[in-house]
Amino acid sequence: MDFGQSISAAAIGSHLLVGLSRAMILFIVSSGLSFVLGVLRVPNVAHGSLYMIGAFAAYSISTAVGGGTAGFILSLMFAPLLVALISLIAERSLFCHLYQREHLMLLLFTFALMLILGDLVKMIWGADYRSITAPAFLQGSVSVFGSPFPIYNLFLLAVGPVVAVGLWFFSNKTKIGKIARAAAVDMQMVGAIGINVSWVFAFAFVLGCFLAGLGGALVAPTVSVTLGMDHDIIIETFLIVTIGGLGNMWGALVGSLIFGITQSFGVLFWPQFAIVFPYLAVVIVLTWRPKGLLKSVW
Amino acid sequence: MLKQKSFWASLVIFAVLLFLPPVIPRFYTYILTVIFVTSLLAMSLNMLVGHGGLFQFHHAAFYGVGAYTAALIFTKTSLGFWMGFFAGPVAAAAAGLIIGLFCVRLSDLYFGMLQISLGSLIWAIVFRWYSLTGGDDGIHGIPIPEFIASQKSAYYFILIVLGVCLILLYLIYKSPFGSTLQAIRDNAERCEAVGINVRRHKLMAITIATFFAGVAGVLFVILEGSVFPDLLFWVLSLEIFIMCLLGGWFTFAGPVLGAAIIVSLRTFVGTYTEYWTFVLGIILILLIFFLPEGVGSLMLKLFQKRVQVKPKETGQGASG
Amino acid sequence: MKHRHGFFGRRQRVFTTAFVLITSLCIAAAVFLPAQVQAKNIKVGIIDCYSGPPAVFAKDALNGFKLALEEINAAGVLGGKIEFTTRDTKFKVDIALNMAKELVMRENVDVLVGTINSGAAMAVSESVAKTEKVPFIVWISKSERLTGEKGHRYIFSTGENTAMAGKAGGVALSKKPYVTYWFAGDDYEYGHAIGRAVWQNLQRGKPDVKKIGESWWKPGEPDLIPYITSILSAKPDAVVFCTGGGSMTNVMKAIKATGMAQKVPIYIHSATDHAVLKPLGADAPEGVMGTMDYHFYYPDTPENRKFVQDFEARYGAPPGFPAFHGYITAKFIADAYRKAGSHNTEKFIDALEGLKVDSPAGKIEMRKCDHQAVLPMYLGITKKEPGNDYVTASDIITLTGDEVMPSCAEIMKARGQ
Repeated sequence: MDFGQSISAAAIGSHLLVGLSRAMILFIVSSGLSFVLGVLRVPNVAHGSLYMIGAFAAYSISTAVGGGTAGFILSLMFAPLLVALISLIAERSLFCHLYQREHLMLLLFTFALMLILGDLVKMIWGADYRSITAPAFLQGSVSVFGSPFPIYNLFLLAVGPVVAVGLWFFSNKTKIGKIARAAAVDMQMVGAIGINVSWVFAFAFVLGCFLAGLGGALVAPTVSVTLGMDHDIIIETFLIVTIGGLGNMWGALVGSLIFGITQSFGVLFWPQFAIVFPYLAVVIVLTWRPKGLLKSVW
Repeated sequence: MLKQKSFWASLVIFAVLLFLPPVIPRFYTYILTVIFVTSLLAMSLNMLVGHGGLFQFHHAAFYGVGAYTAALIFTKTSLGFWMGFFAGPVAAAAAGLIIGLFCVRLSDLYFGMLQISLGSLIWAIVFRWYSLTGGDDGIHGIPIPEFIASQKSAYYFILIVLGVCLILLYLIYKSPFGSTLQAIRDNAERCEAVGINVRRHKLMAITIATFFAGVAGVLFVILEGSVFPDLLFWVLSLEIFIMCLLGGWFTFAGPVLGAAIIVSLRTFVGTYTEYWTFVLGIILILLIFFLPEGVGSLMLKLFQKRVQVKPKETGQGASG
Repeated sequence: MKHRHGFFGRRQRVFTTAFVLITSLCIAAAVFLPAQVQAKNIKVGIIDCYSGPPAVFAKDALNGFKLALEEINAAGVLGGKIEFTTRDTKFKVDIALNMAKELVMRENVDVLVGTINSGAAMAVSESVAKTEKVPFIVWISKSERLTGEKGHRYIFSTGENTAMAGKAGGVALSKKPYVTYWFAGDDYEYGHAIGRAVWQNLQRGKPDVKKIGESWWKPGEPDLIPYITSILSAKPDAVVFCTGGGSMTNVMKAIKATGMAQKVPIYIHSATDHAVLKPLGADAPEGVMGTMDYHFYYPDTPENRKFVQDFEARYGAPPGFPAFHGYITAKFIADAYRKAGSHNTEKFIDALEGLKVDSPAGKIEMRKCDHQAVLPMYLGITKKEPGNDYVTASDIITLTGDEVMPSCAEIMKARGQ
C-alpha cells in the first residue's frame, strides 16, 4: 500500500470524474446487455464481440473518410448501425429458432457467436491494433480540480446521460418500448394479445447490440482498438447487470457507477490490487442483495 | 444387461489404452494424457451441470486452485509429492465449498453470475500476486518425482488415477445421493416438499465435484510441469461446458467423449489454421441445432436400439 | 433445467452420421497424413501469438525471418534448405506447450523459435526444450530469466531482455540530474521486471535517487488519466513508465492527452519503437525518452538501408525490432549449421555459441556463457520530424551490447553456479 502521495481533494475529484466517464461507456454497453437480458432472458456472451466490432467499424469508417470531425460523426452514426445489422442477421437466421429451447442453449449459442465473431474480426481486420484519434474539437484537456482532464472524457460524461434519458424515453413513452417491457415481464400475455413475440425479441436483441456497437464506437478514440476487447468488457458488463438487477436499465447505470468509481478509487488507495476492488464490490452487493440492487425484471 | 455391456466395453477400452504407449508415437501418448486430464475435469463439471442442473459457470477456478496448490507445495515447500497431490484437491474442494456457500442461496443465472465474479476474484488475485504465484508468468519447471517424470510413466499414472476417479464418480452417480441430485435437477420444489434438504445436497455435490476438479488440476501439473493464470480463466470454464454438451450431459461418460473430441480437434485443426476458435464456434452451433443431446447420448441411443431389436412377447414394446 | 427426451428423427440421424464421419475423417487425415519429412532440410518450428494485440510483433518477427531465409535458401544450407512452420499460441501458455510438443514430437523440428509471451517462453524452455533437448531460440519475449537464472544449454535469445533494457535506461537516467522518481506501469511480470531493472541500475549509477511512488494498472487498462493525475500531483523529477505492447499505445495516448511529457521528463523502454509510434501517427507524444535495440532509420548504414528497402518492398512497411530479431535468428541458425557441418543438434549448439553474424546493424554475437545475443541499445527522444506522418527517435545515443549486458559472472551467480 502506498500512501506516499498526498491525497488531496483535487486528486479525489479528478479520480471521481474519470471513474464517472469510464462508467458512462460501461453503462451504454451494459444497458444493451440488460435490455437483451430483460426481454429475452438470455445473457448475450457475444455482447462484448459486438462492442469490439463497433470499435473496429468506427476505425474503418473514420479512416475511410480521412478521419477528423466528419469521420468521427460518421463512425458514431454508422458503426452501431452496422453492428445492429450483423446482430439482426444472426438473430433472424439462427437465434430465433432457439427461443423454444432451454435457456442454457441460448447462452451457448451466444458463446458460439462470440467465438465466431472474434475470429471474423481477425479475418477481416487482421491482428494489428488500431488507433484512431478524437476529432480536433474534442482533443486536448481542460484543467479540472487543478489536474488535466481530457475533453473527450467530458464528452463521454455528457453522452452517457443523454443515452440514458433516450433509453428511458424510448422504453416508457414509445409503443415499441412499452411492448418490449411488457414482453420482458410476461411474454405469453403479450403473445396472447396478438403481438408477434418473435419480432419483439428480434427488436430487443438488435437494440441491445446497437448499444454495444455504440459503446465500442465511443470508446475507440481513447484506447487501442485490438482483438481481445471482447473478452475484457464482457465480464465487466455481466457483473454490472448482475449487481444492478437483471433487465433493469437504471440498475445498469447504478452498477456501472459502482464499477467505475470503485476502480478509480482502488487506483487511489491500493494501485496494485485496484482491479480487485470492483470484483469485491460485486461480491459484497450480491451477498447482501443476491438479486441485484434494483428490482430485476424477473 | 446394458450395464454389463458398457462395463465390458469400458474394460476393453481401458486395456487398449494400457497397451498403447509402446506402439504409438510419443506425441499421441502426450495428447492422450491431455485428454485424460481434460476428461476428468469435464466429468467433474458434468456432475453439477448435467446431473445436478447447477449453473456452474466458473468450474475452471477450482481446477486452477488445485493445480496452483500442488505447484506451490512442490516448489516452495519440501512437503513432498504426495502431500501436494492430496492438498490440491482438498484446497479445491475447500474453495468450492466456500464459494458454494455464497452461491447456493441463489438460483440459476444468479448462481452462475456470482460464481463467475468470485472465480474471477480468485483469478485476479492469482494474476497479481506474483511474489507468491508468479503472477502472469506462472510457475514453470515444477519438479516432478522420478517415477512419473517421463511421458510414458505420466501417462500410466494419470490413466490409473482417471480410472479410479471415474469409478468413484460412477458409484456416486448410481448412489441414492446421485439419484437425489438428479431429482433436484428435475424438480427442486418437489424435493423440498418431500423433505430433502436441497441446499445441503447441492453443497455436497459442489464439494465433491470441485474435489475432482482439483485432482484434474494436480494431474495437469504432473503432465506439463507448469501452472499459469489461464487455468483459472472463465473462457476455460466455458470450454469445459462445451465438452459436456458435446459429449452429452445426461449420459454418464459423455464428457469424456466431449473432451476427447475437443482436444483432438483443437490440436489437429490448430496445426492447419489459426482460426480454430471459429471452427469451434461453428461446431457448437451445429451441435445446438442438430445434436443438443450430444454425441454421447447419440451413441447410447444407437446402442440401446441395437440391444432392443427383438420386441418382447408381452407386446409392451422395448423400454428404456 | 429439465431432462429432455429428444426425438431421433431421420433428418437428425443423417446429419449426425455425416457429422461423425466428417469429424473422424478430419482427425484421421490429420493424424495419418505424413508430416513433411525431407531429411536434407532443416526444419524450424515457430510458436507465436498471431491473435490479439501481440500479433503485430509476431508477424513482424516472422516477416524478418522470411526475408533472411530468401537469401539463405538461395545459397543453401548443408545441401538443403531451411523450412519453417508456424503455430498460433493465442497468447495462451497451455496452447504454446501443446504446440511446442507437437512440433517437436510430431513434426520433428530441429529448432524451436518463438514467442512474445514470457510465460509461454519459460514453460516451453523448461518443459520442452530442456527435456526434449531441442534448441529453443526466443526472439521477442523480454524476460531476463530466460537466459539468466533459468537459462540452460537448450535456450537462446536473439531479443533484448529486461536486464539489458533496464541497464540502458538506468545508466542513461543516472547521468541526468533527476533525484525523485515515480515508477508506473502494467501490473504484470514484464512491467515489474523492467521497473526493477531500471531502478537497480539507476541506483547504482546515482545513489542519491529516491523513489517517491509507484502505480500499477492492469495491462491494457484504457483509463490512465487518474494515474497520470496522481503522478503529476506528486511532482516527481522524472517518471519511468514500465509498459509494452498494446498497453503502450494507451500510455502514449494518455501522455499526449494530458501533455505530460511537457510537464515532467518521461522514460519508457521501447517508446521509440516504430510499431508503437506508427499507429499513433501524429498523435504520439513528443519529448519522451526511450530505448530500443533497432531502428529502421538508425544507424543509417548501407546494410540497414538495404534491409529496410527489401523489407518494405515485400511487406509494405518498414521493419520493427521484432523483424530485426527474426532476421538475425535466421542468420544464426543458418550460419551455425554451416559451421557445424552437420544436422546434429549438439554440434549445432556448440557452433552457435560465440557465433557472430552480419546484421543490418553490424556484427551481432551470440554470447557463449548465457546464449544471449549481444545487442546494442539506442537511447532517443521522440520527435516529429517534418515530412513524417509519424514520430521518430532523435538525438540518438548508442550503447554497445557490452555496456548493457549483465556480465557472465553475474549470470552464473544468478543461476547458482
